[in-house]
Parts: sequence; structure tokens; C-alpha cells
Amino acid sequence: MVPAKRESLITQMRRGTLEYCVLALLRDQPRYGFDLVRTLGGADGLVTSEGTIYPLLSRLRRDGLVTTTWHESPSGPPRRYYQLTAQGQQALALFTTEWDRFTDAVDRLLRQGGSP
Amino acid sequence: MTTEADALTLRYLQELEAELHDLPANRRQELLDEVREHLAAARAELDPETEAGVRTLLERLGDPADIAAEARERSGVPSPPTRPATPRLEIAALVLLVIPFLGWVVGVVLVWLSRLWTTGDKLVGTIGGLSWVAAGLGGILTAAGGSTAVGSEPLGPTETSVLAVVVFVVPFVLPVAAAIYLGIRLRARTAPVRGRLPS
Repeated sequence: MVPAKRESLITQMRRGTLEYCVLALLRDQPRYGFDLVRTLGGADGLVTSEGTIYPLLSRLRRDGLVTTTWHESPSGPPRRYYQLTAQGQQALALFTTEWDRFTDAVDRLLRQGGSP
Repeated sequence: MTTEADALTLRYLQELEAELHDLPANRRQELLDEVREHLAAARAELDPETEAGVRTLLERLGDPADIAAEARERSGVPSPPTRPATPRLEIAALVLLVIPFLGWVVGVVLVWLSRLWTTGDKLVGTIGGLSWVAAGLGGILTAAGGSTAVGSEPLGPTETSVLAVVVFVVPFVLPVAAAIYLGIRLRARTAPVRGRLPS
């Protein structure tokens, strides 16, 4: 496949899923921006430029899915930690259920071409 | 170290700020704060901090234009930014800056109303536009010093020419220089953005 096509395909797939990957990373513990962004950046193909995560975090906060709190850091100035709200937990749970159904359906079609 | 690393970081943040000019001020500030914190945390992990290391951090953060595009999309600001085809306010400011006295004052006010120039650009415009204040004060002080000194000789040719430079050349030349600088910055700011097509 031409690289440009591949790039736009990944961009489209990323568009709807990235915010839930962020929520998933926050499910078990709050994280500060750099930690969150680095972890996401380590996942292959998910993030092309780390800085674009920050506008997403800001959107999630305005939508009430995450909140921020300040915590002391072992070195340097206090850090802004992001954590899931109850609403964020619900959104993540809903996405997880739907994602499983969706990927199952797509996987079946991709492998068998729809034959039973 | 690391003046070079500081300079790279600062330049990156300034570019980002300029790219975010059309976002609401609080949104822009929030994003700048977060990226600044990211850079501080990332740089703290570099041991030792090298210029190459800082460059890598900035590359991983990505092009400020990409971050701004994402911010526009996520916050519902129309993309590409809707902007008058000709930056009328900015052009008016530039014209006024080269008109003496009242024009300088109004020009400086318009420069600050613009959203296309960075704070640094605006300071250059202000210093240029209001240079006549400093020059005028300098002229008055020099003249007063010359005339009140008891028994002093009248101003010699050297002092007179210095005075002429301070009172006439500086206030008339600096605003023009500032206007030229702002014009160059304006072209740099508007040309690539207008050429960017919606994706």
C-alpha cells in the first residue's frame, strides 16, 4: 500500500479510539502528563506526535471524563495529575463492551469473508 | 548546561504560542502550560542533558502546527482558521506607526489589538512607536542641562549634532524600522497558514 494511504488509514482508526486509550491508561491510577504521553507514545502506531495528546486531554477534562489535581513531585515543581471521573469510568466501560463486539465482528469478516 | 537547550525549548514554546493564536486565550494558556510542564519533566529525565537530547524531545512532541491543528479540532475552532483575507487591522497599524505623533500612539494600540503578532513582536512595535517619548525626554534633559549650567559655553557642534540625532533621527527612524520588522513578521505569519488546505 502507498505510504500516504497507510498513514491516512491509521489516522482514521486512531481518531475514534485514542481518547479511550487515554481513559484506559488512567483506569488504575492517576498519571501526570509526561508519564501518560510517554506510555501512549510507546504503543506502536498510536501517537505520531506526543504534543497532540494535550489538546485531547483538555477536551476530556471539559467533557468531565477526567479531572486534574496537583501533586508534589520527587524532583522539581508539582505535577498536574489526570484521573478518571465516575463519568469517565462509565464511558470507558461502555467503549470496552462495544469495542469487543465491534472487533469480533470485523475480525470474523476479515478472516472468513462472512461465510459461517 | 544549558543555555542552548533553554533557547531551543523557549523557541519551541514561542512557535506553539504563535500557532495557537486563534484559540481562546484560556485554552491557549492551558495548552502552553501543559506542554511547558511536559518539557520540564522530560528534560529532568535527561542525564546528562545534551542539546541533541533536547532536540529529540522536541521532535517527539511534534510540529507546533500539528498540535495547534489538533487543538482547533478538539475545541471546535473552525479549521483552517477563518481569518480576513487581508489583515486589515495589522496593515492599519503599520501605516499609523510611520505617521508621527498621534499615528505612533494609535499604531501601538492597534499592534496590541492584533492576534497575529507574538508578544515579542508587539514589544518591538511599542518600543519603535514610542521611541519619540524617550528621545523627547532625552532631548529636553540635554537642552535643559545645556542651558542651566552656569557659565557653561553654548553647545558645541558635537553636542548639537548628538542632540539632533536624539531628537529627530531616533523618533522618526525607529518607528519605520519597527514597522518594517512587523511587516516581515506579518508576512511570515499569514502566508503559510493561508496556503494550508483543509484536510
